[in-house]
Amino acid sequence: MIDFFNSGYPQNKQITYAGMLWLLAAQLVIMLPLSFYLPIWLIPILMISAGWRIRVMQGHISQPGKLAKTIISALGIGALMLSGITPVSLDMMASLLMLGFAYKALEMEQRRDGMVVILTGYMLIGVLFLYSQSILTALYGVFSMVILTATMIAIQHPKSTTILSSFKLSAVMLFLCLPFMLTLFVFAPRFSPLWHFSFSSNQAKTGISDSMTPGDIANLSQSDELAFRVTFKGERPAQRDLYWRGLVLNHFDGETWTQIAGDTDSDQIRTLLKTNKFAIEKRLTQVGKPIDYDIVFEQSAQPWLFTLTPVIKMKGEAILGNDYRVMAKKDVNEPILLEFSSYLQAQRDINLSFEQRISALQLPEIGNGKSQALANEIMARSSSNLDYVNRVLNRYRQEEFYYTLRPPILGDEAVDDFLLETKRGFCAHYASSFVFMMRAVGIPARVIVGYQGGEWNDKGNYLAVHQFDAHSWTEVWLKNKGWIRVDPTTMVAPDRIEKNLETAMSNEGSFLEKQFLSSVKYSWLDGIRKTVDSGQYAWRKFVLSYDKEAQSNFIKQVFGNTSTLTIALVVGIILVSIILLWFVALGLVRRKPKEAPVHRIYRRFCQNMAKHGLERKPSQPAVEFAQLASDTFPEMSSKIEAFTQQYTQMCYIPSGDAEEKTGLLALKKLLKEIRFPV
Amino acid sequence: MLSKGLDSARNSWLQQRFPQTNLITLGLRQIFVIPTMTSLALLAAVLLLSLMAINFKSALVYALCFWLISLIVISIFYTFKNLSSLTIKTIKSRPCFAGEKVVFELEVSCPKGQRKSAIFIGWKDEDTAEVDLHEMNTKRIKLSINTQQRGIFKPERVNVFTRFPIGLVVAWSYAQLDMHSVVYPKAKLIDNAEQSGGIGEQAEQGVEIANGSNDFSGIREYQAGDSPRHIHWKTYAKTGEVYTKSFVDYASHDIWLDWAALPLQDVEAKLSHLCARVLECTQEQQEFGLKLPNKTIQPALGEAHKHSCLTALALYGLSGYSL
Repeated sequence: MIDFFNSGYPQNKQITYAGMLWLLAAQLVIMLPLSFYLPIWLIPILMISAGWRIRVMQGHISQPGKLAKTIISALGIGALMLSGITPVSLDMMASLLMLGFAYKALEMEQRRDGMVVILTGYMLIGVLFLYSQSILTALYGVFSMVILTATMIAIQHPKSTTILSSFKLSAVMLFLCLPFMLTLFVFAPRFSPLWHFSFSSNQAKTGISDSMTPGDIANLSQSDELAFRVTFKGERPAQRDLYWRGLVLNHFDGETWTQIAGDTDSDQIRTLLKTNKFAIEKRLTQVGKPIDYDIVFEQSAQPWLFTLTPVIKMKGEAILGNDYRVMAKKDVNEPILLEFSSYLQAQRDINLSFEQRISALQLPEIGNGKSQALANEIMARSSSNLDYVNRVLNRYRQEEFYYTLRPPILGDEAVDDFLLETKRGFCAHYASSFVFMMRAVGIPARVIVGYQGGEWNDKGNYLAVHQFDAHSWTEVWLKNKGWIRVDPTTMVAPDRIEKNLETAMSNEGSFLEKQFLSSVKYSWLDGIRKTVDSGQYAWRKFVLSYDKEAQSNFIKQVFGNTSTLTIALVVGIILVSIILLWFVALGLVRRKPKEAPVHRIYRRFCQNMAKHGLERKPSQPAVEFAQLASDTFPEMSSKIEAFTQQYTQMCYIPSGDAEEKTGLLALKKLLKEIRFPV
Repeated sequence: MLSKGLDSARNSWLQQRFPQTNLITLGLRQIFVIPTMTSLALLAAVLLLSLMAINFKSALVYALCFWLISLIVISIFYTFKNLSSLTIKTIKSRPCFAGEKVVFELEVSCPKGQRKSAIFIGWKDEDTAEVDLHEMNTKRIKLSINTQQRGIFKPERVNVFTRFPIGLVVAWSYAQLDMHSVVYPKAKLIDNAEQSGGIGEQAEQGVEIANGSNDFSGIREYQAGDSPRHIHWKTYAKTGEVYTKSFVDYASHDIWLDWAALPLQDVEAKLSHLCARVLECTQEQQEFGLKLPNKTIQPALGEAHKHSCLTALALYGLSGYSL
């Protein structure tokens, strides 16, 4: 029945010149944004291929031969191999796809080739979405879709479409698709990843790293990139309490703080942190009310997450570690949404385990002797550990310490140099030296890195935490108090904690000093910036984070505990309704012209006559038929004539609404009077 | 065997569904829609994309997959719409000789305000026309189709199909139109056919051409300039008035193309020969008549006469046709 599809139909015909131009333009549209992420020389390859193709079509040069094609493809693949891209990676896969896509321009001749290009184009839009998920990228993706679909129209029917009409038709079609697509997006079942990819090798790690050398965070504070956004469900804690705790750094080698001794990978850390919810709950004393909030973390290519401490409850793909930190189950390569519940006043670890005590007291065996001596001296004057802590903190305030983003370079004995000589530093310097001073006299302490504060967006009612909010502080363990947070930076720069880095650095002018164009620096742009950012947040939260879990939450919210079958039925009904809407939108549903009531009554009369053996021929005038009827049924001739007269009168003499109503009633009455003897 | 049975079953079903008329308007009942290979290829691409979406947990790639699926679904309705309420009407046909192509003229139209694009109408392995109805909502197309033998030619159902707009699905229908055309026998002269029988020259009566010079027809009054050799002296001698003899030529005797007079055995060869003769006579502007065992056409000249003669030849021996 379908055998004629290929014959007779000009399926195998050549692509026309106009169709070719469409295809080449579409290829350029698809490849342009990807060239930001992949080797840029792929674009010139497309240009050359396209140019060759056009010259061939114009008849100037001939089609490249088999040998030429082989050489060209070998060159391209060779160049990719030499470009330093990891052989098995998303980059390589995407680059190869792009290369083939660009080369296809060389041998596009038939409609079939054109379709291959278009289908590959659709796939490349997907690849683009793996690299960037911003609203702008999505909009560009929509534009690419319209162009590709218009190209499909143009190469299928070069004769019957113009540039504008293909574009318009494509846009309208895709627009009408939206409700169907959205329904599928919301309800179609999602699956867990089938296999594990480690394609993120290309992604630059951003944000806080897993080690800290004084000076690192100062670099980070030059970035206005977003780290994460927080929505509080209830009360928002005061700005000074917003310590977004990330990593715990226990090991110090005299210069750099790391989580544990030696190189580590994140799986190792995860094993190390392993604990269970009950063990953590046992070590905590809950005080006060919980703070409920959710966070959408931006991609960082790292597993570190940042929360208010301690977290008691959470939802999402993360683990709760035995040092109260929250860590993602894998690197954050796409934005993720997590929900947390934290008790800011809870007491942690009134009883410190032996292992924890050991690791919280570790110091390099030699070095920083002057600081050690200073610590011993202060300890000698202190009445208790708490007193010692306060004395060390006060020293930062009393002596001439400065908070600066341009600290002088420190020598080998970094802690000595900072505490006794330069006295100029950023949060890392203070945290590092403070923990050293604690450990020097046997008080368990550790360095914490994370973010502090954040910018409240009143347009979207959320808190945006940027890279320049990166901060480091310390935790000290004291008897009967457990771990307490101590931030030596507050001693020298209270503005940093109470307000933000920009205020703290207003004298020095070093806030984002290398980012001339950063909009964060210009307060008159705040309104616009916050509006745009709240849009992006909504995008992240409601679109990009809509995964399997978000879906099941949403469905539970909407349907409650309804069975899957019912939900499937409802979704089916929605889809069918959309299809019916399409019918209407495309004008496929045409109402039958309604029969005027006068004619309906007359038709009843004719049916009545027909029942008794008298058929009215189509287009037989009513008067003539009446004559015939009167002759056939002479006993009713007067009634038939009266009825017909009323009918013709109503047909041909226009009347008002009221008149028509009475006329119809009269007509009905007359019809009833025509009764055949039973 | 089986396929033959299926084929005939299908044909009878289609016959029911598409009764023969000279006008067909395509509606829900007449149009079939199925996906093409292109949409299967697109589905394969969607499958790859969905693997990408699942493994990278990318909401946007999911959205892209669903958008493409929606595109396939909606294209069913777009393509259906492109064929829906299309009307095809037979206009006329141009007869031909067996072995040549017969041309049918059809009128394709759609309701006002609608646009139809890239609709293909025609036969498999034969002529297929592409029709667009954009500004005008009525167009005439000509379709030619090869013929094999003389008689009445009825083409198969006309296929009407479209893949507009994006080629993901094809909507098609059959126009079982009441199309027929006369196919004349192949014209082929047979050299020795007429000499033995001498059918052409049996002129019993001819049309006189006045002022001829061969046969005597009568006398008339002398007019100045008449040749003295033609003066009828006998009358002059009787009456003393000068009369001139008048002559006529029997220039063109009616030609009868007579079936019975042809000594050939083969019916088709006879028809072919007569057909060629009809053409020859028309070409030479000679009046001719046609005698077939079942039919006689009086001598005449002109296109209409030629057509009726050729038609008579075309239908010779075929029952059920009378024109």
